[in-house]
Amino acid sequence: MSKVAISSVKEGDEYSFTVNDFNRTQFVKYAGGGGDFNPIHHDQTFAEKAGLETVFGMGLLTAGILSRVPVEWFGPTTVHKYNVQFRERLWPGDNVEFKGVVAKTYEKDGVAYADLTLSATNQDGKPLILSTATVRDQ
Amino acid sequence: MAVINPPGIPIERGKIHEFANSIECDEPLYHDEIAAKEAGLPSVVMPPTYSTVENFFPAAGQKNKVELLGLDLRFVLHGAQEWTIERPIFAGEHLTIEHEEPVGYTKKGKRGGEMQFYDMGINYKDKDGNVVMHVKSTVIQTGGVVK
Repeated sequence: MSKVAISSVKEGDEYSFTVNDFNRTQFVKYAGGGGDFNPIHHDQTFAEKAGLETVFGMGLLTAGILSRVPVEWFGPTTVHKYNVQFRERLWPGDNVEFKGVVAKTYEKDGVAYADLTLSATNQDGKPLILSTATVRDQ
Repeated sequence: MAVINPPGIPIERGKIHEFANSIECDEPLYHDEIAAKEAGLPSVVMPPTYSTVENFFPAAGQKNKVELLGLDLRFVLHGAQEWTIERPIFAGEHLTIEHEEPVGYTKKGKRGGEMQFYDMGINYKDKDGNVVMHVKSTVIQTGGVVK
């Protein structure tokens, strides 16, 4: 997919995609990818003993997928700052919308920058993550 | 987990391919070294949240955060995380890591009683000793299960 030049976007421009019906295999794949082996994310028995109905996804799995918004929009070398605040947890079966909106554009030392507001929102309209990112042209 | 030597995080093409697949990202510059070189880059690009693979690369004498903070894994939540990436980082690099002293504080939780917060920062340095990335994460130990 071709990328958008940061110098060409304006406030309010959007990019989004959805990931539907999250499953436990995705959590296990991310455990192997990122190295988070807390059993609360893959072991049903452990989760039940901790008082939960089932396992839930790692916050960093959601954050990793959300990072695809600036990466797929502007390119993988453009991400300068990325900040996530975790809210609701990701449960098996969730449908999640990952979205970015341009909040501000500016130029510093001749380089185009954009501040983005990002979010991952579940099927109930609740945010899993509230996030901001700063991207800049290389 | 066995320690790695020399200490630090090897930024590796195969691990980036695997990590990018685990976040279901098809971005060619994460998977295709030939495309990366054609784009004038030294190799595939490190994804922003790849820093978490630090879990796999403990150095000798370094405690992991669970041991360091004495966390009860049943009741741990990840509160926040912030990455500052000073320049693109590529496969083939080796980053050394420098842990900042964790900062602890407590807050009253709405759903889980007293919550213990820890802010932990890590500096990632390249072979010239420049900090190329800083990551701050906030871990929360809740008083019990958060429904």
